[in-house]
Amino acid sequence: MTTANASVTAPETQATGGIGVQHYATRLGSYDEMLASEQKMLPYWAQFIKTLEEMGSEALDSRRHEAQRLLRENGVTYNVYGDGQKLARPWRLDPIPLLISNEEWTVIEAGLKQRAKLLDLILKDIYGKQALLKKGLLPCELVFAHQGFLHACMGTIPRRGKQLSVYAANLVRGAKGQLWVLNDRTQAPSGSGYALENRAVMMRILPDILRETRVNRLSGFFNIFSQRLASMALHNKDNPRVVVLTPGPYNETYFEHAYLASYLGYTLVQGDDLAVRDGYVWLKSLAGLQPVDVILRRVDDDFCDPLSLRNDSRLGVPGLLEAVRRGNVAVVNPLGSSLLENPALLAFLPSLAQHFLGKDLILPSVATWWCGQKRERDFVLANLDKLIIKHINRRQANDLIFGNELSSAEKDRLRAAILAKPHWYVGQEQFSFSTIPAFIDHHIEPRNAVLRAFVVADDDGYQVMPGGLTRVPRDKEGVVVSNQVGGISKDTWVLAGKTEPTPPRTTRLNRPLILNPIPEALTSRAADHLFWVGRYVERIDCTARLLRTILAKYRTSQEYKDDLDDHCLAVLLQAFNHVTGSRLALANGLSASPQNLLADLLVSVKDAKKTGSLSANIQAWNYAAFSVRDLWSQDTWRSVDSIQHRWQPRAMTGIEPLQTSLDELITGIVAFTGLINESMTREAGWLLLDSGRRLERALLLVALLRSSLQVKHGQALLQQVVEAVLVATDSFSVYQRRYRAVMQLPLLLELLLFDPSHPRSVAYQLQHLSGHIAGLPRETGKSRLSVEERLILKAYTDVRLGSADEVLATNEEAWGYDKLGWLLDSTRQLLWQIANEVAQAYFNHAQTAQVVSIKTLAEDEL
Amino acid sequence: MNYRITHSTAYHYSQAVGLCQNEARLRPREFWRQQCLSSEFQVTPAATDFYERTDYFGNQVTYFAVQKMHTQLVVTVTSDVAVYPRPEPDDNGQQTAWEHVRGQLQEGYAQTPQLSRELLDARYCVLDSPMAANSPVLAEYAGLSFQPGRPLLEVVRDLMQRIYRDFTYDPCFTTIATPLSEVMAHRRGVCQDFAHLAIACLRSFGLAARYVSGYVETAPQAGVPRLVGADASHAWFSVYIPGIGWVDFDPTNNKLPFDQHITLAWGRDFADVTPLKGIAFGGGQHSLSVSVDVMRLT
Repeated sequence: MTTANASVTAPETQATGGIGVQHYATRLGSYDEMLASEQKMLPYWAQFIKTLEEMGSEALDSRRHEAQRLLRENGVTYNVYGDGQKLARPWRLDPIPLLISNEEWTVIEAGLKQRAKLLDLILKDIYGKQALLKKGLLPCELVFAHQGFLHACMGTIPRRGKQLSVYAANLVRGAKGQLWVLNDRTQAPSGSGYALENRAVMMRILPDILRETRVNRLSGFFNIFSQRLASMALHNKDNPRVVVLTPGPYNETYFEHAYLASYLGYTLVQGDDLAVRDGYVWLKSLAGLQPVDVILRRVDDDFCDPLSLRNDSRLGVPGLLEAVRRGNVAVVNPLGSSLLENPALLAFLPSLAQHFLGKDLILPSVATWWCGQKRERDFVLANLDKLIIKHINRRQANDLIFGNELSSAEKDRLRAAILAKPHWYVGQEQFSFSTIPAFIDHHIEPRNAVLRAFVVADDDGYQVMPGGLTRVPRDKEGVVVSNQVGGISKDTWVLAGKTEPTPPRTTRLNRPLILNPIPEALTSRAADHLFWVGRYVERIDCTARLLRTILAKYRTSQEYKDDLDDHCLAVLLQAFNHVTGSRLALANGLSASPQNLLADLLVSVKDAKKTGSLSANIQAWNYAAFSVRDLWSQDTWRSVDSIQHRWQPRAMTGIEPLQTSLDELITGIVAFTGLINESMTREAGWLLLDSGRRLERALLLVALLRSSLQVKHGQALLQQVVEAVLVATDSFSVYQRRYRAVMQLPLLLELLLFDPSHPRSVAYQLQHLSGHIAGLPRETGKSRLSVEERLILKAYTDVRLGSADEVLATNEEAWGYDKLGWLLDSTRQLLWQIANEVAQAYFNHAQTAQVVSIKTLAEDEL
Repeated sequence: MNYRITHSTAYHYSQAVGLCQNEARLRPREFWRQQCLSSEFQVTPAATDFYERTDYFGNQVTYFAVQKMHTQLVVTVTSDVAVYPRPEPDDNGQQTAWEHVRGQLQEGYAQTPQLSRELLDARYCVLDSPMAANSPVLAEYAGLSFQPGRPLLEVVRDLMQRIYRDFTYDPCFTTIATPLSEVMAHRRGVCQDFAHLAIACLRSFGLAARYVSGYVETAPQAGVPRLVGADASHAWFSVYIPGIGWVDFDPTNNKLPFDQHITLAWGRDFADVTPLKGIAFGGGQHSLSVSVDVMRLT
């Protein structure tokens, strides 16, 4: 592409350290957002760029870094399909926003409102009277051949009122500066949450500029959004329950689902957290079934109900459409809305706007020809070179065919395909992009821009978010802006006009303040994940501490070459295997060379594929925490991120870096558990999380004691082992303070097994677990103890009734302390049973749905 | 002719099911050639949520849920149906060439200011559906029947005959999920495959064809007593001819249904009219048995 000479009339710039405005070279013939078409900086950009120039390239780059750090710490991610290594990819934000003048925005706003209104009318007609099809205003093949037309949804969309509640459009700008709608997103538009988070970050990194520039705020939009969702409720209008239905943590925009749920205060659910009974939708919560009034869904249309729609879907709720049909639940947007995403529809919008509204489209679409019509088909076939060919059914993210990039054989094949099923194809003009300055490698460079704008319905009509999500590709000539392929996002600043910017988010005045808060509706899935967050956190903590003790002992044994150290090390390694389920090769105690031992240890720490390794536990813990992303406070999530971020197995090449990493890890874990205890309400969620911790800590402690101390050791070795176990359980200083004595087994047992006041003891864990379990919601009206209550009572009583003298009583010849072994084993078994019972009672969501229908259809012949 | 149809489906589960939701298209629909005199639905254990509606194609749909623990579910529908003999199409319709019909389907708007519901539905049935999509292989197979200027009824009768002749009826070869390409490659299948095949063939020539699910009366051999419950579901196809309407063809038996075919429901393909489908929560392994009895009432 040719580069225009950069005759930019730049503001006064510093000679060095600027952001390179004087070298900003736009592409010949394309419109630039900053320079418009005359290569002269637009006045509202000039002030902004001048400030950046003054700030200088280094400072701006550090702001950019700061933005990345904030985004990462806030867990703003975008999942990339097929990326097995890393679930979530960080969201990227360019520090230079798209500036849009108020005058221009007024037009865009009017255009989007009009479009939303029009699409709503089309949607209601097609699932209603189908007058458009009968009158030939829309060819029926155009609708019928699109997979978004779901005949099962016929008649389920009410004719009255606006039914398209949320809507997003991608906008591009042509060479002369005119705006086009590239495509419409109607079934579950994504991006508004990212836009909100982008703004939050911009407020942190460029607060002064943002303030001085007088930019419209976004919060008002979300206020309307949440009012809209509440108003969609068909029953229970005073206090409706709204849930956000997500396909789950593997979905590309899962972050946004969790973020919006948490920002708007809704429960985040997956399909099997919901059930349809008696024609209503219910949330399976720990406290029983709770009615659901409105579902903001981020699951595609046809996956929403395996009974009536795609029966291979595991993301939906069987019977959902039936509940919709009976008017018992509102789904936003309504099931079937994806038919509006049909690109062929673009060709008919101008005439439909005339038909419904008697007006021209304010915002035109990219020129589109639907091949289902003869004249248009002939035109497309004759102009393949100049067009982009699209299948009307979106199959992959980027299945655009650029006619001019095809070989003649490919063109022939495409022609044949179009002729065979012409109604499946559209030709579109090869639209041009406008460019916008992006901050790349310390200076600004033009990049192609796409703006996604968001619209929500309110009582009067539609409201447009005064802002949006602007995206640019990483490469200069790139046209694909999706984060999936490494695109970069930008904030979008709509400059306030003469009137005041949108007022900040306020409480709703038209409804009385509810003083009785809605009881925490914790889904049993979320409960399950919280329980495991607790268990994994203890696994990580215990493993890290034990490893640290082992490494210290290893160093001593290397240094002093004392047999006793070697023996103690062997005991600890065996305990490590026992506690973590690792398989360090220890056939003959320490016969393996020290180098081999170290290498083995490193593998058992670093290798995420090995069960029981620290990396594997951290990964599992992170996944469990990510799955309930909406339940964490910001600070708590930051601590989750920091642990994950600092854990760099690649850097752990020897003892020292490993020790440092373990220290950091333990500090991180302590911060995380501290934050949990400081920020979570003592409701079911916390109870389960802490139950997971208590249960796991008790299990690990029992395993440690069983493997290291149930066997009799010689006096000298015993002292070493006792000391090591105390260190590994963070109890050494307590022991010393309390007993001021040499290391003795009975005293250790008193402290670590029997003493309910020591937070590291088995008794302490059982006592607290017992309290937690009693506090969990359960069916009322039962005076008898539940199974898990009985089990925990037994475990706790057994331990409380025991004493060190008793469990250590043994005859001289015995090789170990049998009674201690029995007590530990029985405690372990009871704990396992408790874990199972808790899972049965509270995490019952795992019962999977299956499709039952005839597999073969055999019949007799006449 | 009057019939009593008893269609019973039993599911057995290895583990208890706490909730199952079902959609049934088991009540015979009414239309000009058929009247449903009575139809009784029986679900054991009793359904707690029972709702009926009409679907996009006008079929009777029954939604029901069983919301208590069960390891066995039996759904029995007993219907009395009157079927009237198919009248012979008049001479005009008999002679309409297939190209002419295709043209009428394509240019419906030019002729009338407003498309009728009937024509709209027909045009839906010209397009591919998930289980009956046309392909070059099918078009090539069908091509032999489509001689220029040939009356559509003759074309379809010929196509039906060829399917009957060329394909082996083999209940062991296919399942619901077997794609048409495989049926085509091995020339084997059951009634639903033959119906899908014919539908896809007709669609590849721009014609409207739909899938009909129902039953057929089986005549016992002379001297052999009629076995109750030995019958089964059946499927055939229907083609649209403007001015005449939909005409049924049974490629499995190489017959134009006269008065022995009882219609349950119709749609674009099997997926639209599955007699009974359900989602069960839990259940482990499940097995299923179906029995159908078609009895002539005198």
